[in-house]
Amino acid sequence: MWYKVMTGFGYWDVYAWLIFLAIASFFTLWLRGLGRDDYKEGTYQDEIYFSGNDVPEDGEGITVPADSAYWGFKKALAPYYKVLVSMHSGHVIDYVGYLVLVTGIITALIVLV
Amino acid sequence: MNWQIHLPALILAVPLLGAFAVPLFNLGGKTLRHVCFVLISLATFVFAFLLWKTVLVSGTQVYVMGGETSALTLPSGMSFPIRIILQVDAFSAFMALLGSIASLAGAFFSVSFMERSSGIVRFTSLYLILTTGMLGMMITGDLFNFFVFLEIASIASFGLVAFWRDRPEAIEAGFKYMLVSQLAAMMVLIAVGFLYGRYSALNMAAVASVIHLGLAEKIALVFLLAALAMKCGTFPMHMWLPDAYAEAPAGVTCLLVAVSQASLYGLIRVCYSVYGLTMGSSLIPWVIIILGTASMFFGVSMAVIQHEIKRLIGYHSISQVGYMLLGLGVGLLALGDPQALADYGFTAMKGGVYHIFNYTMYKGLLFLAAGALYYVTGTKDLNEMGGLARRMPFTTIMFAIAAAAISGLPPFNGFVSKLLIYHSSFAVHPFFAVAALVTSVLTLASFVKIFQTAFLGPEKKKLEEVREVPSSMLIGMGVLTVTILVLTLFPTWTLSNLVEPAAKALVDQAGYIAAVMGGVF
Repeated sequence: MWYKVMTGFGYWDVYAWLIFLAIASFFTLWLRGLGRDDYKEGTYQDEIYFSGNDVPEDGEGITVPADSAYWGFKKALAPYYKVLVSMHSGHVIDYVGYLVLVTGIITALIVLV
Repeated sequence: MNWQIHLPALILAVPLLGAFAVPLFNLGGKTLRHVCFVLISLATFVFAFLLWKTVLVSGTQVYVMGGETSALTLPSGMSFPIRIILQVDAFSAFMALLGSIASLAGAFFSVSFMERSSGIVRFTSLYLILTTGMLGMMITGDLFNFFVFLEIASIASFGLVAFWRDRPEAIEAGFKYMLVSQLAAMMVLIAVGFLYGRYSALNMAAVASVIHLGLAEKIALVFLLAALAMKCGTFPMHMWLPDAYAEAPAGVTCLLVAVSQASLYGLIRVCYSVYGLTMGSSLIPWVIIILGTASMFFGVSMAVIQHEIKRLIGYHSISQVGYMLLGLGVGLLALGDPQALADYGFTAMKGGVYHIFNYTMYKGLLFLAAGALYYVTGTKDLNEMGGLARRMPFTTIMFAIAAAAISGLPPFNGFVSKLLIYHSSFAVHPFFAVAALVTSVLTLASFVKIFQTAFLGPEKKKLEEVREVPSSMLIGMGVLTVTILVLTLFPTWTLSNLVEPAAKALVDQAGYIAAVMGGVF
């Protein structure tokens, strides 16, 4: 079929996906439309709930910085990252060294095999 | 006389002459310089598009530089070509098309982005020289000529990476890139020397017609493989890439993405068209597959923990190159077995080739969007950004499209090429498909992080004055966004007209040789 991408193991149909997306969006918006009708825009109902605390005026105070994103992931994989980050030393000697090392390994393999 | 036979020469001549004409245009004022910069890039794109159309209709185009006629590759009495030959098959035309789109988008973007910098004439000239070098690498049929274009592209990119010379980081990145690149360039030159010493020929098709695998050929192959893999950012030789991509002006980084693909093109061309089945054992394909898988996983691992936007996206370049190496490595592994090629090898090649186009478009767009954020906020640190979606709606939408595409979210184009790679690499071993899927999940995680920290959340006081970027920058990003949407909405057209002809050209080593050697080989 002209609109199907055959992978040899299955297929991908972008238009079937878009139709599904349109139907899902319709039902999502419809369900949302059934929400509370006592909502008034521009009243206290629009205020941010900040665990009962005052909301800081500058957004900086309530933002999760990029550094803190996925802290659990980073903590769990700390030993892995210790090795990986140490490889990225920033020393140009290391940059050249890895190129020479990889070339040497492949050369040894191809000459011996 | 049909002027279109000169298209291979024109797509090199226009940016090259343009680069040297820019100082003259500058005498007419900055508006004339800007207009000429964009028009030269646009003309290069139009010629690349016409060349791609011509190749689709008429087959491989061969252009002999300085010959009696542009199509006479073997003058009477010659058994191999001695002149510089540009050889454009469907894969070369495909590469030239994507390179020229990236160059056009970067040119539009740079017009306003570089407004605040000095030395714009030098910048424009170097940018056009870089475009020439990149396109030359993609369409030359000559090994030494490939080295020359590689050097042209490298030297221009050293200058552009270190263009903001008041920033020590930019100088350092440019110096590191220069040192590693020059070592790689020497390796390419030695490899070319080995092949020239053995066969007295520099033309790729001529070498391919007589090559047999001895020690010199093996060493030449390894040198070419390692040097070009380093140039396209393969793990663990990728260290220069995040530094260089992060420090180069955004329009340049967009073009550097395509330039790295020119190196990948060289690697693929050497493996498929020059060596082909002569490689004999499956060692080199397995090396490419392993390097690809390592690049995917370790690249994305490093990206997740970055907080500087361009470095984060730079590490994703390593990861994305891994997908292409995996797909093209699997294709190379199946090359000698017609059944395996039909079952999964050709699908893997299509996935790899498709991903080259997709990657260049969405990665270029991501770097331009990162440049737009830098332009308005003055920082690349994600910790300093927040709530920008309200101030920059167009940039936000285009960034979201590119982020979804690189993460392989359906229905975007990145999903289709990744799907082809998942399925075909699974046939070799499920581990590769699992590694590719995990990489995709981590890619999504990284871009959710960027989107959340830069565009969503409450506005920061210091960013209250931020406004949407100028229109020329939006047009630059728009060019790539439109291309991504076309690739997304018409995947079968893309596969039939862009990807499959390119993948078939790679498989057809005999056709590549015959286009130059005729019936001689």
